[in-house]
Amino acid sequence: MIPNPARTVPEEEPRWWPSPALVARLGVILLVAVLLQTAVASNFRILGANPDFALIVVVCVALLKGSETGAIFGFLTGALVAVALMEPFGLSAFVFVVVGFVAGRYAETADLSHGFAPLVSVFVATFIAGVLLALAQFLLARQVPLGFFLGRVLVPALILNTLLAAPLYLVVRWWLRGGGDLRAVRTR
Amino acid sequence: MVGILLLLCIAMFTLYFRESDSGVVHGAQGAVLRVVAPLQNGTARATKPFRDAWNWTADLFSAKSENAKLKRELEQLRAGVASELATQDENAQLRAAVALHDAGIFPGTARLVTARVVARSTTAWYSTVTIDAGGDDGIGLYDAVVNGAGLVGRVTKLEAGAAQVTLITDQQSYVDSMVVPGGAQGIISGSVTGDITMQYVDRNEKVKVGQYVVTSGRAGSIFVRGIPIGQIESVGLQEVELYQSISVRPFVDFRKLDIVQVVLP
Repeated sequence: MIPNPARTVPEEEPRWWPSPALVARLGVILLVAVLLQTAVASNFRILGANPDFALIVVVCVALLKGSETGAIFGFLTGALVAVALMEPFGLSAFVFVVVGFVAGRYAETADLSHGFAPLVSVFVATFIAGVLLALAQFLLARQVPLGFFLGRVLVPALILNTLLAAPLYLVVRWWLRGGGDLRAVRTR
Repeated sequence: MVGILLLLCIAMFTLYFRESDSGVVHGAQGAVLRVVAPLQNGTARATKPFRDAWNWTADLFSAKSENAKLKRELEQLRAGVASELATQDENAQLRAAVALHDAGIFPGTARLVTARVVARSTTAWYSTVTIDAGGDDGIGLYDAVVNGAGLVGRVTKLEAGAAQVTLITDQQSYVDSMVVPGGAQGIISGSVTGDITMQYVDRNEKVKVGQYVVTSGRAGSIFVRGIPIGQIESVGLQEVELYQSISVRPFVDFRKLDIVQVVLP
């Protein structure tokens, strides 16, 4: 069971702007996530899918630091992934902004007392990201066979990313410990 | 804030497809890539032994008939020789690349630029890799990319120190090709599943399983004649079809792509 961040009453007052130290920590984790995603993840195929470190890290940051930070972090992560892979600019950023914002709002407004928030969030985020990316491919006039998408893209990614959510969440939470609470609305 | 970010994404995306390769968004992408590419290169090099060990382990599961032998070799890997194996593998790749060059496929004037794959697309929708050589090394758009096994793909995006290579398995990749021996001509095309097929081969052409497929080098083709592509795996012919449906197994193992060579015409 993963401790629930939303139930912990922070010692500091909520703040809108992250401290320089937190920005630096977020910068490091952003760079590590992008390098892991572009240079490492694509070489490891587990359960029929490649791990999506970037997506999982965006969700973890959003859960820990709120929707605004999650959206901005998602935008930067997506933009940097597109740069590193020389892929169409803006597509990954769009998807990660949506995912970061939704996960952040979930942490800010929902009762997360069951403690499985990271797993549920990553599962839902993977689904949203998968559907949005497939839709974009369809709009770009590329082949999107439904059977292939469901059986060989979406379902394996849902399983793998959900399995990786807990360990990555613990790492991200440890790395971002302190630094203030940026979540706009918190449940107790 | 979120609305602004989403609008910004849409604007960037639209601009990316509307502007030329020398446009603002492409320029910004290139500038950032100059910083990121060396980091990717370092990460790719640092993790290569782990990737090799991982691939090697994955192969174990698909080679049950050699289970006992592979298990012994796995023990050796566990003993810490992963990095040494990685070096040996690199040497083998370079030797194979030299052998392909020595085979005389490429014109005498052609120059080969060796590069390393530093990143690859992580979505199923694109089959592309990023290499650590670019315009500064003399590489041009649409140059052919090969390795010791055969044709890898073509350069589709170019920056000063890096280039994007679209693999022949990509669903938007098409290569003029022919069957040898026999000379039946067709187009090798990729697919979203990563399989490649030879299309537009006339139904009257005699094509057999096991024959090789190479680039045809027809006028207007970006590939020179004779670069190995793969071996015919199956041939299907429906009575109502004008063309044969030919499945090809590529010679290149795209899962283990590491060192490649760009053919400069």
